[in-house]
Amino acid sequence: MTKFSLLAVLAAIGFSAAAHAESATYAIDPSHTFASWEIGHFATSTNRGRFNKTSGTVTLDKAAKTGSLDVTVDTTSLDTGTAAFTKHISSDEMLNVAAFPTAHFVANKFVFNGDKVAEVDGSLTLMGKTNPIVLKAQNFNCYMNPMVKREVCGGDFDATLVRSQYGLTYGLNYGFPDAMHLVIQVEAVKQ
Amino acid sequence: MKRSSSKPRRAAVVAALVALNASPGLAPALAETVAGPVNYRLDPNHTFATFEVLHFGTSTLRGRIGPISGEVMLDRAARAGDLRLRIPVTSVETGLPVLDARLKQPDLLATAEYPEAYFVATKFQFDAAGGVKEVRGEFTLRGVSEPLSLVARSFACRHDAMLKREVCGGDFDADLKRSRFGATFGEPFVSDDVHLVIQVEGIAP
Repeated sequence: MTKFSLLAVLAAIGFSAAAHAESATYAIDPSHTFASWEIGHFATSTNRGRFNKTSGTVTLDKAAKTGSLDVTVDTTSLDTGTAAFTKHISSDEMLNVAAFPTAHFVANKFVFNGDKVAEVDGSLTLMGKTNPIVLKAQNFNCYMNPMVKREVCGGDFDATLVRSQYGLTYGLNYGFPDAMHLVIQVEAVKQ
Repeated sequence: MKRSSSKPRRAAVVAALVALNASPGLAPALAETVAGPVNYRLDPNHTFATFEVLHFGTSTLRGRIGPISGEVMLDRAARAGDLRLRIPVTSVETGLPVLDARLKQPDLLATAEYPEAYFVATKFQFDAAGGVKEVRGEFTLRGVSEPLSLVARSFACRHDAMLKREVCGGDFDADLKRSRFGATFGEPFVSDDVHLVIQVEGIAP
């Protein structure tokens, strides 16, 4: 019995060593990775915008349930569907994309629910200011993509961003909300 | 997050918004119900549809269509409404030009043959406060008409101090199966279920 327990322990150690070796790097697929935001408009409807260019890498160890990521969003790629709106938000009154052409998200704490990523805790640098942010998964899945013939992992994540924490205070004093909702589609291809 | 084209206009906007904020009770407004039918002009800056469809059971593809134009009549006292929307499908825009081009092909949105979709509705449901709760009508996409229900996630009317007019609008959700309209490319890897998220604001005369 003792011998069997020892064997089991050794097997478990062996397994976790093998599992540790399962850490893999994934490259963000820019054609399936978009960060969008939503903000209330006079308590009536929701204004939306999207950043069209995102790049970066993710490491994922599904066995050890760990991960990290380093993602850059090109803030000059903002697109709201209304040219004047996009221009105004990009101006120095708001995102000031000329001075801050990128936003940067880094994270090294991944929370798993079973074998799926449920939450990513990291820090977002926007307009030169860095604050913690938590991304919650609405969907997470890995699949073998028949086109690229590689494993692809990704999902839908959302987060709440308090824009005044980043110095983005335009309109706060006349009723535009401080809290914005981030809606993120992400897929990344195993390297 | 209001856009503005010139400095003087921007100053006026700010002044108006400050004035608006100084009048408590205006923000969550449904208060000033106008008697009789009102024809609202859809605000092209705040009237868009976004579609959402699941890609390989993993992440959600989104695309925006708009601005949507058309006629909206609301008679909130009589709890009635009439809505005719023209949806410019050719404007579909995902952030990825190759995907936009693919979406316009004959096996998806078929925009060469059907550049517009339509939504026509006369069945309006109102909540106790007089806000629009649900709009049921007929959606025509690729020349195929099917019943569609738009369910309000939010709805409000306000006196817009900048426009000096009543503005009513909200966020609406709808769900459809694209195969019912013949837009089947990519199934089942890209879901048949399409979720629509609609922002709409209409300006009273």
